Amino acid sequence: MVRLAHLWDMSRCVACMACVIACNSANFPEYMRSSNPNPQWSWLASNIKVWWISVGGRPRVLLTQCMQCDNAPCVKACPTKASHYDPKTGLVTIDYRLCIGCKACVVACPYGARWMDPESHMPNKCLGPECSSRIENGLKPVCVTVCPANARDFGDLDDPESSISRRVRESTTIRLREELGTKPRNVVVLRGG
Amino acid sequence: MALRISRRDFVKIAGTALALSSIPVSISVVSGFRQPSVSRLEAIGSQREAVRTFCGMCGALCGIQVVKVDGRIAYVEPLDGHPQRGLCGRSASTVWLWDSPLRLRKPLKRVGERGEARFQEVDWDTALNEIAAKLREVVAKYGYKSIAITHHDVWSYYMPLFSYLFGTPNVISHVGMCHASGTVARGHILGAGGPPSVDPDYENASYILFVSRTPGTASMGVLNRLRGNRKVRIVVVDPRMPEIGLGDAEWIPIIPGTDAAFLLSLAHVIIEERLYDETFLKYYSNAPFLIKPDGKPLTEADLVEEGDARKYMVWDAKTKKPVDHKTPGIDPDLLYEGDVTLKDGTVARVRTAFQLFRERCSKYKPEEASRITGVPAETIRRIARELALYKGVVDDTWFISKNGNDYDDVRAALILNVLLGNIDKPGGLCFQESARFPAVITVVTRDGKRYARTFYDVEMPEELFGDVGATRVDRTKYRATPATFDAILDAILTGDPYPVKALFVIGTTPIHRDMDVDKIKEALGKLDLLVVIDILPQDIVDYADYVLPDTTYLERDEFTTVKWTLHAAVHLQKKITEPPEGCDARSALWIMFEIARRAFPERARALGWRDEYADYHKFEEFEESLSEILVRKVADTWKIPLETLRKELEEKGYYILKSKEYMVRPYRVALGTPSGKCEIYSLTALGLGLDPLPDYRPPPAYPLPKADDEFYLVNGKGPLISAHALLMEPMRFFKHLWSVWMNPRDAERLGIKDGDIVELESLAKPGKRVKARVWVTEMVREKVLFTYSYVGRRSKLLPENHFARGGVNIHELNKAYVIPIVGGGASNTSVRVRRVT
Repeated sequence: MVRLAHLWDMSRCVACMACVIACNSANFPEYMRSSNPNPQWSWLASNIKVWWISVGGRPRVLLTQCMQCDNAPCVKACPTKASHYDPKTGLVTIDYRLCIGCKACVVACPYGARWMDPESHMPNKCLGPECSSRIENGLKPVCVTVCPANARDFGDLDDPESSISRRVRESTTIRLREELGTKPRNVVVLRGG
Repeated sequence: MALRISRRDFVKIAGTALALSSIPVSISVVSGFRQPSVSRLEAIGSQREAVRTFCGMCGALCGIQVVKVDGRIAYVEPLDGHPQRGLCGRSASTVWLWDSPLRLRKPLKRVGERGEARFQEVDWDTALNEIAAKLREVVAKYGYKSIAITHHDVWSYYMPLFSYLFGTPNVISHVGMCHASGTVARGHILGAGGPPSVDPDYENASYILFVSRTPGTASMGVLNRLRGNRKVRIVVVDPRMPEIGLGDAEWIPIIPGTDAAFLLSLAHVIIEERLYDETFLKYYSNAPFLIKPDGKPLTEADLVEEGDARKYMVWDAKTKKPVDHKTPGIDPDLLYEGDVTLKDGTVARVRTAFQLFRERCSKYKPEEASRITGVPAETIRRIARELALYKGVVDDTWFISKNGNDYDDVRAALILNVLLGNIDKPGGLCFQESARFPAVITVVTRDGKRYARTFYDVEMPEELFGDVGATRVDRTKYRATPATFDAILDAILTGDPYPVKALFVIGTTPIHRDMDVDKIKEALGKLDLLVVIDILPQDIVDYADYVLPDTTYLERDEFTTVKWTLHAAVHLQKKITEPPEGCDARSALWIMFEIARRAFPERARALGWRDEYADYHKFEEFEESLSEILVRKVADTWKIPLETLRKELEEKGYYILKSKEYMVRPYRVALGTPSGKCEIYSLTALGLGLDPLPDYRPPPAYPLPKADDEFYLVNGKGPLISAHALLMEPMRFFKHLWSVWMNPRDAERLGIKDGDIVELESLAKPGKRVKARVWVTEMVREKVLFTYSYVGRRSKLLPENHFARGGVNIHELNKAYVIPIVGGGASNTSVRVRRVT
């Protein structure tokens, strides 16, 4: 079994936004100059969201994207099975041949990780097309490779030898909103090893 | 709906699905000799290739690779193995720059009043001929030195060439509004130069204290190096939380303009608790130098007839007498205080420089420093002890032109490293290895005649030097300054020390760089000629007589040193693409030579310019040959086979000429200070009439805020900040860039909510008001407002509702203040806040 996931390290990120911006130009080049590319999030055409938060009075930043839930509400909510687990990668994936643009998945996602494409009226999510193609070619997603702070990783959680597994072992980590039972795979590192 | 179909089809046809991103683009990978060689284009997966180069979105020049997908520049990645590995949000936005709708595409000639931004497109010949004619007029009336050129990092290598090309000494960079005070201080304490002639050893440091700076504001290579160090503790001292504070760094919010008091208090604790490196201070610093009551050092000339005034005396604890500090086998007393008999028989009371510094620091006991800085006394003690315990390093600062007392901040920061003995050691404050890169121009003397010799081996005889030898305008006012553009404004306005009538602004934007926008505009209005060379409509463009479109870093070759590394290294940038269709951009090098060819043909010819280079393709051959020559010269200097260097540059994009060697300066090689040692008591400062020791002085640049509604207004950089990157579309979505930051407790007190509009009225320039949106955040200290640099655009060439109009250009609210002698400006100010909505 392959369980691919993203790791994002809060202790290393400096909010330089390279990942947020590169996600846009790599995956959604058609929306690079749109005046309102992602009305749902009032955001650029990027699969990564930025939250300015306060933890115990201390300012922090939190970057989120599709959490790759093992028990994904979006997959359950999809009436046409367009949202599904890719048998090869285990990633939550959309089969656009089946998608009817009903937004059930968008509403169902407790992380708000999906946004409606303003032209196709279909949902977009991480991984975007270029990143999907990259992992097929054995490369890591763009947000991981662009990071100057080594705050990101991507790989197979079920492979103990993968760099992501090593980082999980060596760090203090959390999964976001686990209480919902979504079993998110994506890892947030609070303190690096 | 082609898009929907392709996206739908994507999963099914993964692998070829990149067709979806193959929206029609017109990037033409140029053919022939200019195309990056195959080895620089590494295929990474289907339809992808990566071109190794270095970034030009800010002046740091990090190593990156530009990834093309189906021929389209799709994204930029850090260049693995590069000693200054990229990247950041600025670099990521490169993809938007190339065919930005804002790009300056044709030469423009002003048809309205200055500031109205009414232009007509003209062809290159018209623009260049008219500029040349005007220049000739100006020179005939006021001389070559009435021409000034200002710039930032881009094209800075060629600036000395432009100086000879136009016969003027007045090539004056941005430095007065950036690191001038730091550069002067580095010279005075360590005999070093601008950043990063010394820099923390990020890879190996165990503890780094950053004051008024954060890694990741410019060179992300620095952040990358830091993030590869798993043991380092990072502490940042700043009125606003630098971005690295969002991660694991400790942020100490400090009252603006009080860094020196904080740092001297650290020094006080380190000295009184004897946490300093006694051996280092005795043998590698001037701490044991004996200082006379008049503040001058005791030298051999004071003691014996025909003694050497450069032999500085220390008290030898072994022989109990004053001896030259270089005498072998001595034990210099750090704490000596006593009488010495001078050669004329008089007795002078001398004390060591260390005692004087100690006495100075004792003014800043932690409780007193706490009162000044707002940092708890216990925090000061803890940081001092941690610095000593971890053998920490205090960063030498970067952008520091903030409060008008910054020179002392940097001196105190540097001296802390000297106290800790952490100079040029692994994990310490280290000297960068020199790449011994050829200077663009050097003056050589042959048969009693001087020639300006270029790196491409062309010589201009001295009769064509024009006014190059005249004193630069800024140095007539600020003797020690590396560059102070404010002095050019004064010269334009008053004609003192001599008139400046023509100004070239190359890749920089004084209206967002220099103090007091009103003063800048008034000066611009008095010029006979203002030429702006840039790629985007910075605010300065509105005032130009001629606007000339420059190329981006993707559109030209460059070979230069890697800046932000301790190693000696070079890297190569290759032209990746032509400018987009309809954009007739030309390299600033071509522009300046072509103006000179038309204005002063004998000067251009003497510097190797041929008439045929007017043809841009011929010029590009010349430009490429310049890189080739530089590569050859570097290979010669380092005795590397040319083919080896070429091959490495082609394959990897960079080459490390020499890895950092520790423990060289001041241990085996004397520093560039008068004593050759680290000078906690600066003899250069003394000679300039400055206080030889750092001290805290309240910020002189603006009135201190007092009333409830009065605030400090401070500014800074960040990983998204550069004059160009900020105009790229993605920046619109990051509200922290376009707002003034306010602490939640201040906001609550004043009844201000996140997103409210406030009016800021300058306390430095009463009546001067601007409006801004507020971002309520814990990332700024109470009683302080923060704004990024380069925001608050006003150019009429930007669309009316352009996002870059958001935020505050701090220079609209400050008043020009320049540190005497040193020449560093002060960008921060103070304001009264009133809620508007």
